[in-house]
Amino acid sequence: MALLELKQVSKNFAHGSGTLQVLDDISFDVDEGEFVAIVGPSGCGKSTLLRIINGIVPMTSGQVLYRGRQVDGINLECALVFQSFALLPWLSVKANVELGLEARGLPLAEREKRAGIYIDKVGLDGFEEAYPRELSGGMKQRVGFARALAVEPKVLLMDEPFSALDALTAITLREEMLDIWQSPDMPVKTIVLVTHIIEEAIELADRVIVMATGPGRIVKDLKVELPRPRDRRTETFNALTDQVFSLIEERG
Amino acid sequence: MFGIEINQRRLVNGSLSFVALAAIMALFFAYRSHAQHLIPHNVPVSLEHLPYYAFCSFYRMLAAYIIALLFSIIYGMTAARGGLYERILIPAIDIAQSVPVVGFFPAAVYFFVALAHGSRFGVEMAAVFLIFTSQAWNMALGVYEAVKTIPDDSRDALESFGARGWLRFKRLLLPASVPKLVYNSILSWVAGWYFLIACEIITVGPASYWLPGLGSFLWQAGEKGRNFDLVAGLLTLLAIIVAMDLIVWQPLSMWAERFRYEFAASSGAAQSLGMFSALAGIGPAVTRALRAILLPPMALIATALNAMPRGPQLSAEQSRRAGRIVRTLVVGAVLIFIAWALARGFFALIRTLSQPWPSEVKEIPPAILASTIRMTIAYAISLAWTVPCALAASESPRFNRILSPIAEIVGSMPATALFPVIVVAVVRFGGVNLASIVLILTWMQWYLLFNLLAGANQVPEDLKEAARAFGLSRYARWRKLTLPAVTPSLITGSITGWGGGWNALILSEYFVYKNQTYQVLGIGSLLDAATYKTGNGVMILLSLLSMILVVLLLNRLMWRPLYNLTTERYRLDY
Repeated sequence: MALLELKQVSKNFAHGSGTLQVLDDISFDVDEGEFVAIVGPSGCGKSTLLRIINGIVPMTSGQVLYRGRQVDGINLECALVFQSFALLPWLSVKANVELGLEARGLPLAEREKRAGIYIDKVGLDGFEEAYPRELSGGMKQRVGFARALAVEPKVLLMDEPFSALDALTAITLREEMLDIWQSPDMPVKTIVLVTHIIEEAIELADRVIVMATGPGRIVKDLKVELPRPRDRRTETFNALTDQVFSLIEERG
Repeated sequence: MFGIEINQRRLVNGSLSFVALAAIMALFFAYRSHAQHLIPHNVPVSLEHLPYYAFCSFYRMLAAYIIALLFSIIYGMTAARGGLYERILIPAIDIAQSVPVVGFFPAAVYFFVALAHGSRFGVEMAAVFLIFTSQAWNMALGVYEAVKTIPDDSRDALESFGARGWLRFKRLLLPASVPKLVYNSILSWVAGWYFLIACEIITVGPASYWLPGLGSFLWQAGEKGRNFDLVAGLLTLLAIIVAMDLIVWQPLSMWAERFRYEFAASSGAAQSLGMFSALAGIGPAVTRALRAILLPPMALIATALNAMPRGPQLSAEQSRRAGRIVRTLVVGAVLIFIAWALARGFFALIRTLSQPWPSEVKEIPPAILASTIRMTIAYAISLAWTVPCALAASESPRFNRILSPIAEIVGSMPATALFPVIVVAVVRFGGVNLASIVLILTWMQWYLLFNLLAGANQVPEDLKEAARAFGLSRYARWRKLTLPAVTPSLITGSITGWGGGWNALILSEYFVYKNQTYQVLGIGSLLDAATYKTGNGVMILLSLLSMILVVLLLNRLMWRPLYNLTTERYRLDY
């Protein structure tokens, strides 16, 4: 059985006097341990889709099943990583990472221990007491990862996590993210990544779901069977990129 | 219940605040018990009792502020929930803010004195209530705006962790409101002093209740011709305001910066008056020293407390359910109370208005006209000197650097404190009309000047350079650039100026000085005379209602459209 099952998910927003359809009949499965990337042009509703999976945004119709069961409200087995990092400026790095643990009602000692472990894991050892405004963009997103990983979710949801970073920082962080994902002591194995960067999707994911806009719908679901670590300069990589690019272009 | 843990930092902060509060309270009560038998009713004021009066005023302010703070957080956050809450609560603020607060003081005194079965405590409650209404609205609006502008991603981040209720309030909503709360608290204290002094003057003047405070001290000193006491009272007030700025607002403003989202760094930064910036470090330095002393013993206590066994913790679901029940109960109780109060008020209104109307009713329209003329004269005088000042400031940075801090300091002094001085001067040299206009002026001109200076400072340097480079004459520069650029600020200043002006009007159109009543034709004097002399409920109500009507109509038909027009047309986003 798939870990996540999306069945005919649709989403309408109230728009002026009428409604605007953002997502139309989205169905796909995510297996345990799978790394899925959702690629599409801006406005195709891919970020909304991620929030529907998490349960933050209610869907208009359809179903999201987790381990075969429908989740009421927020699915606490998921954790989100944001493009804007979404760190609270008034909390230290440690307090930001502890946020999810605090919401789960963990005692202080346990929170501190776990926050320490994951701050260490993303390479921010020594920055526990720093405030977000004192950190660079790349470091902020490391805090974002640590915060999501600290709740030890079964599914990691990433909303354009590298898009607000400069190109070089993004490359480093992508590699480190992959390393963390592939390391044996990592509890989270299943990742859903939303991005508009085609190369990023093909480099990272086992499967790429291509979306088109107006309303947002799936146009292609393709497996990426390149061996890791993946080299962006190979011909097969470029062929895949071209394929996805033309899929998006002809519908966009 | 909410998983409270004890750590040393929190203990230090807690005990520091507690010690500070206890010290101020102890000082007050010690002084009070010492002074109580010294100050019987209506004994002539004297210098040795000045601290007592100052304490009374300060505590009245503090009580009102604490209530206003709690109220504004609840009100603002409820309004920010959106939907029906927002559609009702936000327009309500708009109306409440434009209603002249001082006009309600007589009604409030009667209501609260009746509530307190005639005891003096009723007058205290009325004064606190009045100051509260002058402080709460802008703070509530600040909280509302702050919560509304929290980025969606921050909300989603907490939501995705299932963080709700108390945790969401503690970690997201309250911290996000801190910068605006601090900034608006500073403004609220300025307004609060103004109204407090007004209330205290009214009580010793026409209302002849006993409300000891700096306002009544100043008034009595003026009446008794004790010029030295008058000056001492004014200096005491100035000292309290400066001290508040140094020990409270400057450190708070600095601390509030930590709660700001980075992208919002430039807009509406919290700032204290910035007086005597050389002394600005004192407050934080003292706090740091106290912290250093308190930290070791508190660390021991924290360890001891944390070692103690805890009670059972509620699960997330249980506490969520409890929160929902509490919220439903509170909202229900508040709604029932409001409905009850509205119904009572409505029936009282009908009952009062169904009594025979006195013949003075026909004085209301000419009185309103006379009052409006007085306001217009004061407004014209204010414009006559503030606009040239703003133009000069935009031309000369040096003039601006001198004028701005002076305007800030003088503007933060409650102009009502000068009323006794004005009366002393005016009764000797002129009429009540003059006193009234001068008092309105003391409020209006500063608000105009502040806003105009702020507007003039916002004119971009490169636009000024461009105007010079094209060889525009000074007159042409003013007409083409500076005046249009400051117009939105002029309107904003005018709205605030007129809003406060009505209060000054009520205070100044009717006063009792040396047992003699001074009054002029005006809506404020009609209201005061009806309240303090004839006690005619119909007249009180009709004058109050017609004044509110005029204020609201002026706002809706003149200021609001002007504001929309000018901000649309003269906005500086080029």
